[in-house]
Amino acid sequence: MKSIAEILKEIRPEFDFTTSQDFISDGMLDSFDIVTLVSSLDKNFSVSIPGTEILPENFQNIQTIEALLRKSGAAT
Amino acid sequence: MTPVQTVSQVFDAIQQAKAGAPDFCTNFFPVQRKVQDWISHGELFAELRHDAIFFYRRDRDFWHLYYCASSKTALHREIPTVAELRTEPIVLDLVGKEGDASAAIGDWESAGFRRYSRLFRMSRTSTDANGDKTESTTKIEFAVVPDAKAVLELLERAFDRFGEQLPVRYEIESAIQAQQVLVARHQGDIAGLLFFETQGFSSTLRFWAVATEHRALKVGSALMRHYFATQNAVKRFVLWVAADNVNAVQKYGHYGYKPDGLVDYVLANQLVRS
Repeated sequence: MKSIAEILKEIRPEFDFTTSQDFISDGMLDSFDIVTLVSSLDKNFSVSIPGTEILPENFQNIQTIEALLRKSGAAT
Repeated sequence: MTPVQTVSQVFDAIQQAKAGAPDFCTNFFPVQRKVQDWISHGELFAELRHDAIFFYRRDRDFWHLYYCASSKTALHREIPTVAELRTEPIVLDLVGKEGDASAAIGDWESAGFRRYSRLFRMSRTSTDANGDKTESTTKIEFAVVPDAKAVLELLERAFDRFGEQLPVRYEIESAIQAQQVLVARHQGDIAGLLFFETQGFSSTLRFWAVATEHRALKVGSALMRHYFATQNAVKRFVLWVAADNVNAVQKYGHYGYKPDGLVDYVLANQLVRS
């Protein structure tokens, strides 16, 4: 199983996701990236992240993505 | 179809299509702020089906169509039953990696849509070479709100309203207020413009245009150099360009942009006239 950081790096290799606390405001993930990320997270963690949770605040940083995955039933 | 009243209606509807979906598919990548603008201006409508939802966004004299479906099978089943696809002028964008995007076209062609244009995304990093060493004395400045009408006119002359997601007047005014429109002036006219959106470390060049009568002034290169020079914090520059616009593709390549693998097939139904 890949880590969240590894999945992020696959989507946007040019950014260092460990140095940002707000991927959206920092422009590291755009709306298309988020949909790609949700699909990768769904597959990698065997969950289905609800559409209602696809909000910028849930993708701000690795901690918020972890919390989203836990809420969606993943064992992170 | 019914008007959408709140942003949460949009996300609730997406959730309805996504709940338990075996193979969720969509061409809708909503940005909350833009969805809110569309709703505030009465531009967004929706039609809910059993396991799919269709959103229609009004733009000038036609509609943009977005869909969310629980599976490709569900989408295939629902498309022929949506009357508006045959009675309203509609375009839709299928965005993705080349193979994924082109694979989704068949269902829409069966419903009377045709391939209208194909765009692809190009990107550059802040360290990629910029091949432009042109000198120009043209003064570049941010547009001001009274320029909005002229900006809109230049955009509508230079770009295709069906295929290139042209902004409407209020979007141009917002962009101007956010200092996202650079202009070059010549004898009182807007000779050229560069319209961009910068968010943190990323910047999207949305439109770059020079008025035909001012093409000898090297305004385009001055705009581009000013843009790069003022985006010091940006690490990733992206843009979408029509694949058949060979001249633009070459120019963007000159500034260090390269195709990054994403494509956008723009489909249009028979009520959309080129």
